[in-house]
Amino acid sequence: MSEATLERGLNALKEVIDTPMALFFSSCTHCGMCATACLFYTETENPAYTPINKVEPLRRLWEQEYTLVGRIKKALGMSKPITDEELEEWKEYAYNACSLCGRCTMVCPVGNDITYMIRKMREGMAASGHTPEGLVGASTRAVEIGSPMGVKLPALQAQARHVEKDTGIDIPFDVEGAEYLMLMSSMEIMNYPEYLEAVSRIFHAAGKSWTISSEAFEATNSGIQIGSSDIARQLVSRVVNAAEKLKVKTVISPECGHAYTAIRWEGPNLIGRPFPFHVKHILEVLDEFRAEGLLKTEGFEDARMTFHDPCQLVRRGGVVQQPRNLLNMVATDFVEMKDHGIMNWCCGAGGGVSANEDAEELKMKAFNRKKHQLEELDGVETLVTACANCRIQIEEGLEENEIDMPVVGLTELLAEHLVEENKTEG
Amino acid sequence: MTDINNETQFRQALKQMSMANQREAGALFVEQVAYLADDERITFAIRVAKNKDPADDELTAAHKAAKAAAIDCYTRCGSDADWSAQAGYFVARAASAIVSPEKDVGRDGPAWTAAANSRLARTCSIIDANDEAESQEAGKQYRILEDYLNKLNKRV
Repeated sequence: MSEATLERGLNALKEVIDTPMALFFSSCTHCGMCATACLFYTETENPAYTPINKVEPLRRLWEQEYTLVGRIKKALGMSKPITDEELEEWKEYAYNACSLCGRCTMVCPVGNDITYMIRKMREGMAASGHTPEGLVGASTRAVEIGSPMGVKLPALQAQARHVEKDTGIDIPFDVEGAEYLMLMSSMEIMNYPEYLEAVSRIFHAAGKSWTISSEAFEATNSGIQIGSSDIARQLVSRVVNAAEKLKVKTVISPECGHAYTAIRWEGPNLIGRPFPFHVKHILEVLDEFRAEGLLKTEGFEDARMTFHDPCQLVRRGGVVQQPRNLLNMVATDFVEMKDHGIMNWCCGAGGGVSANEDAEELKMKAFNRKKHQLEELDGVETLVTACANCRIQIEEGLEENEIDMPVVGLTELLAEHLVEENKTEG
Repeated sequence: MTDINNETQFRQALKQMSMANQREAGALFVEQVAYLADDERITFAIRVAKNKDPADDELTAAHKAAKAAAIDCYTRCGSDADWSAQAGYFVARAASAIVSPEKDVGRDGPAWTAAANSRLARTCSIIDANDEAESQEAGKQYRILEDYLNKLNKRV
């Protein structure tokens, strides 16, 4: 990437102002509804965190460059130019105080996709060098090592050997012609390797062929989070190349929210052509197995359970019913949070927020919304989710608030109840 | 004499044990890797799990402390992998398992959960050392469990 400068940043911002963006700015009625939908605003009441304010420099640039009144004002010196200082101030609003959760977009009465606007605003922030250090590090590692957390192939192979020893089931690498290519998030490799064990057992029991690519095992895409389409494209291309080389039919995005959005919804646009394979979230695949009778479980959980919908799954991907179908197989006492499904509240750490150390305090304030949602439920004992980043944020938030509640991944929960007719002992 | 030579025998032996014995055996597994965390909360959990009849509040306090230790050292999404700290995370998870309240003990039981997490801790330390050697933790655990069960049988 070229050196980041204000000029490059402004050019990048001008480039992202397309027809939808111009329409969004010209139709905004300043009603404030997006503020009430944003947990960074509701939990802090800081007006600077109002979603539409997070793109204010972009709006001014649009006005100055693409509207008659704005051009006249600019020519007469009546409008404020965008400066490095201003973009540096906006770094907090556009990155720390936004998880790209998409809730603001859902409530906008004129249909503005505010999340898309913030995502595009980040393109200019990245090009001008006003990006959080944590995300810069993550993106650099993703490009250079292949994982935003610096997880190298030998580390994944070591975790795979551990799973093989525990289960007696081979973890297949680089198998050409396998039906599924399994992507992993570094968070799962490092913090929740039981996910790998769960999928290996479930796929073994279902009799389905799958593989991991040693050239592209990472699902996450920090290019999307930091706002660099160049990086995002490079990371998506790695997966596409691996999937094409291995001739798989379906690529599976793991229990990670933004990874799913990156590969499934942004991926084809980033590389400029359709994929010759399907992309599905692991929960979509497991629900298909359930419907085909390939996923069989036994026994039920005694605990009262609820489900935290990862934003990117429900709002961007419409994966709402699948987790509920799956939970129904193992939970008898399931309760929904008040705002669940497509209007669920974010955990507070998505969209790159968790990678920014200076967002630590703010993300815990944002977690208060989830805490209130849980307090509204009567006697819920276990929280289930399907995103490793949500999971760790919720675990941390519960710990900080001294709430003793286990948080489990849905895939692992299903594996706990799996009927394994052809069980291989380790 | 009990002989444990593979995973099937290991897990079956664990399954047949009482909850108190599972906690105690699990504590022996955690002891092997506790130095990777170097955290007093882990030592506390081991001590409580080894107690044949721990008080409920003692168990709760140890569980809470071990869980907090795990949350203190997990790797944040997007941060640079520190496999040494990550070993500590799995040690804390193993310690948390041996003092889990009965309602939260998974189907596999505290000893197996502790064994699996102790192995993960060892794997992390191997990755951290850039070592290509296979972890021998499972084999060590077989010997530890054999000794434990043999001593237990003698007591009976």
